[in-house]
Amino acid sequence: MDTSNWILQFLGRLHPLLVHFPIGLLVVALLLEFLTIGGKRKGLREGINWMVYIGAGFAIFSALFGWFLKTQDDYSGNLVDNHQYTGIATAILGLVTAIILKNSIKKAKLNLKAYRFMLFTTVILLTIAGHLGANLTHGEDYLTAILPGNKEVYSNKESGALLSELKGASELSELQKDKLSLEVRGLFAHKCYQCHSENKQKGELILEHKEGVFKGGKSGLAVVAGKPEESEIYKRIILPADNKKVMPTKGKLLTADEIALVKLWITEGAHWSDQAVKVFPEAPLKLVKPELPKVTEQTHPIDKIVSTYFDKNNVAWQSLVEDRKFIKRAYLDIVGLLPSPEAITTFVNDSNPKKRELLIDELLNDSENYTQHWLSFWNDLLRNDYSGTGFITKGRFQITKWLYNSLKNNKSYDQMVSQLMNPDKSSEGFIRGIKWRGVVNSSQSTEMQAAQNIGQSLMGVNVKCASCHNSFVSNLTLDQAYGFASIFADEPLELNRCDKPIGKIAKVNFLYPELGSVAGKTLKERLLKLSEVMINKENGRLYRTITNRVWERLIGRGIIEPVDEMDNTPWNAELLDWIAADFIDSGTDLKHLIKRIMTSKAYQMPTVNYKKQEDLKKDYVFKGPVLRRLSAEQFSDAISQVVAPVYQAVAFNPNEEKMPAQRIWHHEKDLTNTVLPLPGKRYFRKVFQLSKKTIKNASVLISVDDAYSLFINGKKVGEGNDWTKVGKYDVTHLLHKGDNIIAVEGNNIGKIDNPASILFAMKVVFTDGKSFKLYSNETWKSTDRTPNKNWINLNFDTKKWKKVKNYGNSNWAKLLDFTFKEHEKTFARASLVKQHSFLKALGRPNREIVVSKREEQATLLQALELTNGAYFNGVLEKGAEKWLEKYGTDSGVIVDTLYQKLLGRHPSSDEQKILIASLGNQPNAEQLQDVIWSVLISPEFQFIN
Amino acid sequence: MEKQNSRREFLKKMTAASIAASTTTISMSSFLSSCSPEVQKRAATADTVILLWMAGGMAHTETFDPKAYVPYEKGVESKRILSTFTKIPTIVDGLEFSEGLEGIGSVMDKGAIIRSYKSADLGHILHTRHQYHWHTCYEPPQSVQAPHIGAWIAKELGPVNPVIPPFISIGQRFTMGEAEELKAFHSAGFLGTEYGPFLIPDPSSGLDSVRPPKGMSLKRFESRYKLYQELVNKSEIMEKGSNYQRQSLMRSMEQSYRLLNSPEAKVFDLSQEPKEVYDTYNTGRFGLGCLLAKRLAMNGGRFISVSTEYEPFLGWDTHENGHIRAKNMKALIDRPVSQLIKDLDETGHLDKTLIILASEFSRDAIMEGRPGELVKNQVDQPDIIEDEKYYGMHRHFTDGSSIIMWGGGVEKGLVYGKTADERPCSSIEKPVVIDQVHQSVYHALGIDTQTHYEIEGRPFYTTPDGKGKPILDLFGKSTKIS
Repeated sequence: MDTSNWILQFLGRLHPLLVHFPIGLLVVALLLEFLTIGGKRKGLREGINWMVYIGAGFAIFSALFGWFLKTQDDYSGNLVDNHQYTGIATAILGLVTAIILKNSIKKAKLNLKAYRFMLFTTVILLTIAGHLGANLTHGEDYLTAILPGNKEVYSNKESGALLSELKGASELSELQKDKLSLEVRGLFAHKCYQCHSENKQKGELILEHKEGVFKGGKSGLAVVAGKPEESEIYKRIILPADNKKVMPTKGKLLTADEIALVKLWITEGAHWSDQAVKVFPEAPLKLVKPELPKVTEQTHPIDKIVSTYFDKNNVAWQSLVEDRKFIKRAYLDIVGLLPSPEAITTFVNDSNPKKRELLIDELLNDSENYTQHWLSFWNDLLRNDYSGTGFITKGRFQITKWLYNSLKNNKSYDQMVSQLMNPDKSSEGFIRGIKWRGVVNSSQSTEMQAAQNIGQSLMGVNVKCASCHNSFVSNLTLDQAYGFASIFADEPLELNRCDKPIGKIAKVNFLYPELGSVAGKTLKERLLKLSEVMINKENGRLYRTITNRVWERLIGRGIIEPVDEMDNTPWNAELLDWIAADFIDSGTDLKHLIKRIMTSKAYQMPTVNYKKQEDLKKDYVFKGPVLRRLSAEQFSDAISQVVAPVYQAVAFNPNEEKMPAQRIWHHEKDLTNTVLPLPGKRYFRKVFQLSKKTIKNASVLISVDDAYSLFINGKKVGEGNDWTKVGKYDVTHLLHKGDNIIAVEGNNIGKIDNPASILFAMKVVFTDGKSFKLYSNETWKSTDRTPNKNWINLNFDTKKWKKVKNYGNSNWAKLLDFTFKEHEKTFARASLVKQHSFLKALGRPNREIVVSKREEQATLLQALELTNGAYFNGVLEKGAEKWLEKYGTDSGVIVDTLYQKLLGRHPSSDEQKILIASLGNQPNAEQLQDVIWSVLISPEFQFIN
Repeated sequence: MEKQNSRREFLKKMTAASIAASTTTISMSSFLSSCSPEVQKRAATADTVILLWMAGGMAHTETFDPKAYVPYEKGVESKRILSTFTKIPTIVDGLEFSEGLEGIGSVMDKGAIIRSYKSADLGHILHTRHQYHWHTCYEPPQSVQAPHIGAWIAKELGPVNPVIPPFISIGQRFTMGEAEELKAFHSAGFLGTEYGPFLIPDPSSGLDSVRPPKGMSLKRFESRYKLYQELVNKSEIMEKGSNYQRQSLMRSMEQSYRLLNSPEAKVFDLSQEPKEVYDTYNTGRFGLGCLLAKRLAMNGGRFISVSTEYEPFLGWDTHENGHIRAKNMKALIDRPVSQLIKDLDETGHLDKTLIILASEFSRDAIMEGRPGELVKNQVDQPDIIEDEKYYGMHRHFTDGSSIIMWGGGVEKGLVYGKTADERPCSSIEKPVVIDQVHQSVYHALGIDTQTHYEIEGRPFYTTPDGKGKPILDLFGKSTKIS
């Protein structure tokens, strides 16, 4: 800042001082002017004149300095603008008034009418400007807040509760004294700090800290320990509302409970706790397993607690859902797939009373499918994805492999957290965040991202606010956020407030220092300590947070909502604490947690209907599970299971073998730049030699985007036009010893340029058991000029052909089927697929930031995707053809099978009638496709009931 | 409350255009609480916005703010190169453009040019990061997902014509380099996908997005929907009573059906245009994008962006052969852009349509970044040019570029701000930053400067901290913020 600026700024800050002169002078001038009406009190004239002149002069200076203040101190907003306009207008009118006055004096003939009118108008305007200015300084509700009917939002229910707890006690324990002290100070924070803080020491009283409170203010000692009647605070808060000495003067008076609490605190010796006062409600860290209520009619611990809760809230137990519904829920919730009709029948007919629990066990033991379902939940929560912002510049790392194996092996949650905090290469992606090239806001440094993400994902606390300034929504301070972020920094971090350094170096600290120290000289040391502190069993917050998230997934609404704000009040604290403690007792076994919830009646009750979304938010009372929409992945996988594979290529292949084949393109050039291929045909060749050994068998795999024709030694082998469908050919009879030639014509279909590529592999097995393999790679040659038809043969001149180019394989998904092994045709689980427009439309998020809850409501763009999306309709089209092949053309059979597979039941006679009428006697693929679509879109299929 | 039956009857009779109310009422924003304001609605001067996006960094000195022309000759020094084209006059006295922009020059009496836009200083230049910043007004990364300006507008104003999605993005594909970074800002962010872009990568097949699936006759499309409805009505689930989730699903399906079945889908059909009009616009995909934008603007589009398409090293991203590439790009944009302005003007739509032409930053022959904040050079540029491929603007320059605005209440023939005539050709008068550009757009649309939502407990404004101010001069001095 240069010197002229600070002068202006200094002058600007004189504005609040200066404005009182015109206010005082002009108002008094007007009053006196009234007294002169009718020619009375002529002696006042001279004085009034001077008041008007000086007042107008100061008004001009006030406006000028106000303008300095605005420009130098960065004031903005409508209120400021309005204040500015009225202020300037006041100054101008004041000046005009003064001039009229002066002129009329000169002419020795007082033009009183005009002058008086002007003065009156000026003062009116002045009042408005002054009021707006006051609003700026004191807040917009400054004046109106004290009007009857304007209640303050803050209401402290705790006061009453604490009061009744303490009143009963004959002598307060240390703990109770601390509690009392903190409660009273919380009260001060909400009710008194506005005037009695370091910033604004009204009556020279500061209530922010111990010294201030006991020092008192201008009116005397604020607090006399043991003697409320002598304590100024108490004396003032009990005054009636119309007494001008009553406190607080701003906002609502204290309630009877609050007053009683302050009195009790002083009577009990005004004990001062050294703990920091919590202005916002904060959940206790510690987790103690509550004792279960003695309810005999329920056996499941969750149900015992819920039963007591139900009694209290007059909610009745509903009979549990029937077997068909239960098995569907259980499948979708544990493995994310639909149960087969056979599985349903077996389950329904099973007479074992423990069959539900057995089913849950069986599904949880299906580790591969369990992992492929829950992977999406964890990917969202840990901000892990296969593609996305940051990967291109190597500023981001996946943790997929680590995550997949952790889930598959049911690693304990403690161990997972510990490995995320103190990671090796495989799990470091989480705390390393996303690094962008260039300069980023200090609240978005990778260290701060780590702090924010750990806070949100694992601890259910918002660190984002505090990473810029002291939080407005929690007790977290900038110091704490930076202290936390410093754990991950290579060098000490300097605090930045709103992206401006404030010259303070952060002290390494955990968000909840009472859990233990995370200080350490090296990063490694600190991370190790953090990993221990996080899973300290005193850190109940970690376990409550994950417990609440899993409950929310399975039941549809958390015990605490929103699930990222764990300081909010649970609808039943006992329930949350018991399940979380039970989770710890199980060795933080995630499958145990899932099973614990799913075996309860609470989970197995029918869903509750809510007419409005708001009913789930305010004054929520648990009555049973909430209807849940199928996730993008569940929906996609269900179609893959029943209709036709939606995806055949994955971004992450858990059973991956390294694929030596590379995707190759024709190397396109425009001038001297490498550009993307234009539409049209490209020709690829590869000559290779086979030794003299006799060939036992030879096979080829090929996938081309968009279309191909494959030739070997001049003979056409096959063609295809879907890169996800791998062409597999037996070419034993086409090969011979010596030189062989593979030729591929690739075709970019469409009107616009688009990358096109070839992926090829060949395996030749000789009679002696040895083998020869050939893959597409940069030894191939290509051209974009149409060659003569001899190009598929060995004897062809390729001098003008170019070396192909591999633009990288990272953008390409891995074909599930690109292997020589014969295995059952399968589909790619949507959780393993690279983000795709279809999944995105159905709510799979871009995982640049933590997503703990997906968008819930249906949207128009989503509906459009389901109604005319080319991709979705393409899958259904294929599926319908497949179904006709497989199930014949008997409409009755088709309808019944479809209902069993998708909805887990037979169609009703009405439904059967409608569908058979629609299909006719000899259904074609189009008719069937539309029937499948109608069922897939129906609410019964779309929701987990 | 009407009964189910009569409601269906009612819907049957409903014309596409009258679905207005229902389309705008789907609100998914379960976690958003609107804090927008003490709204003091100003009279809007525009209903529709078209953003003509010059993706990849368009050099101001080669286009709308030409400097001294230095022709190519072997051995010319790089530091002498200020412009590689001659200047041409425009219809506005004293306003000169670079050769090749005669068409756009001829419509400058209908718009205003800002010549002093300064991009943010984000350190190392990354196109997608600057584009993110331009389109969202927030510097990436952010701890919550920032919405695109089009999403804000869609959220605040909804569609003009209920069957035309309020935010349409034309011309950008997401399958190429830095696709993920592009997706990151082509998003409604925390406002919810409801307000996200309706993507039309290829304008000539735009119609496919708004009609029944390919190969499905209208008759079949209608009977498919009827079948679905019949099934829903017979389903025992519906007897369980009303549920907001089910209702929301069914309502969205109904709207989608109405939209796709609507006669207005032909707005997306470029083949409806006379051949000579089509040919005038057709300089490539961008030109056809302008044609589609025109049709949309005339029929109730709200926010439409047309991109020359960002693809690393292509389009305006000239890392070599800058002169020739710039010439080609000018040929791509000049005719369709000027025709778009003329057509909208002739039909009277220009008054209510705000058209903006902009780029994420500019380019220079030797300077990477900006004076005082130079960053690592990404392109080699010899001091002495011996090969013509080094003749042009190959480095990224962030200290000055041009933005043109037409219509929607924008002052006609105005030249705002100025860059230096000598290197560095920085903004030297009335520098403009992105917050001002966004607020100017919102100003034209009547969206309050303080519009914001509470997200994760914090207020999130259209422009950071709600501090941005519109450039009132663009709208004539008489206009004031209320």
